[in-house]
Amino acid sequence: MRQDFEKLFSHLKPAEPPAGLFDRIILAIKREQELRHTKRLVFGFAGLLVISFIAIPFSWTMLVNQIEGSGISYFVSTAVSDFGTFFLLWQDFSLAILESLPLTGMIAFAVSLGITVFTLRLFLYRKRLLLNYLISYEYR
Amino acid sequence: MNLTDEQLVAGYLAGDEMALEILIKRYLRPIYSFTFRFVGDSQETEDITQEVFVKVWRNLKKFDKNKKFKTWIFTIAKNTCLDWQKKKKTLPLFFAETIRDPSPILNEPLDRILERLSPKYRMVLFLRYNDHFTFREIAESLGESIDTIKTRHRRGIAILKKLLKAK
Repeated sequence: MRQDFEKLFSHLKPAEPPAGLFDRIILAIKREQELRHTKRLVFGFAGLLVISFIAIPFSWTMLVNQIEGSGISYFVSTAVSDFGTFFLLWQDFSLAILESLPLTGMIAFAVSLGITVFTLRLFLYRKRLLLNYLISYEYR
Repeated sequence: MNLTDEQLVAGYLAGDEMALEILIKRYLRPIYSFTFRFVGDSQETEDITQEVFVKVWRNLKKFDKNKKFKTWIFTIAKNTCLDWQKKKKTLPLFFAETIRDPSPILNEPLDRILERLSPKYRMVLFLRYNDHFTFREIAESLGESIDTIKTRHRRGIAILKKLLKAK
């Protein structure tokens, strides 16, 4: 019986997809891929922007506090005001300055500055893509 | 080399872009035909078919490898058609109970006779005899139990026989 009905149904004219449909589908998928990529980029950019906005003032305050607490400014001002003594004892001076360097604060500030520069670079590099996405998002 | 659907899915997920194209080519006609039976309008069918394949691509990572790709894609197609019908706010053709056109059927071509079948029976018969689905595959694709599908199939066949005799 099954074969009879299969034969019967084979007489039907099947609905044929139009010639350009396959290309349309591939194009739609490609467009979706690009959109997904841009979305990731926008979220990444926004995340980095937020991180850098928070991190820069914090790390700057931390660096300033550490510089003030470390006494490095005294060594530097002594070295500048009394250059003769500094020249005589330059090895001890250099060692003292190096020891009193606020390393944690400097690293934190450098990292947050690096993130900000990277975020700006990302924006400048992909500004058209990002702006297009944000503009088109408003009309969605 | 004739790869199975599941192998092609695995291939695409592993980075083979061509695998997706093969899958789309393989299912373009059946999905278009299925959608056309649901929608009945070629422009809408094109849009829905495109939407189905985009959804397939979007959800390919979530595809359960223990299930059949064929039933999975037809389930997506059915759901997309239902979404479309909801948007249109019309009575789904597929679930309509009554025969739409009660005019005489003598000397009509076969597809016109089949159109007289209730869409839910017609869909089962089409999937069974046109797309060569098993009962289990039809049940999984349409989200119904196998018993429901078998009942619809039996009733559909009985009605079709009557219609053909009347012809």
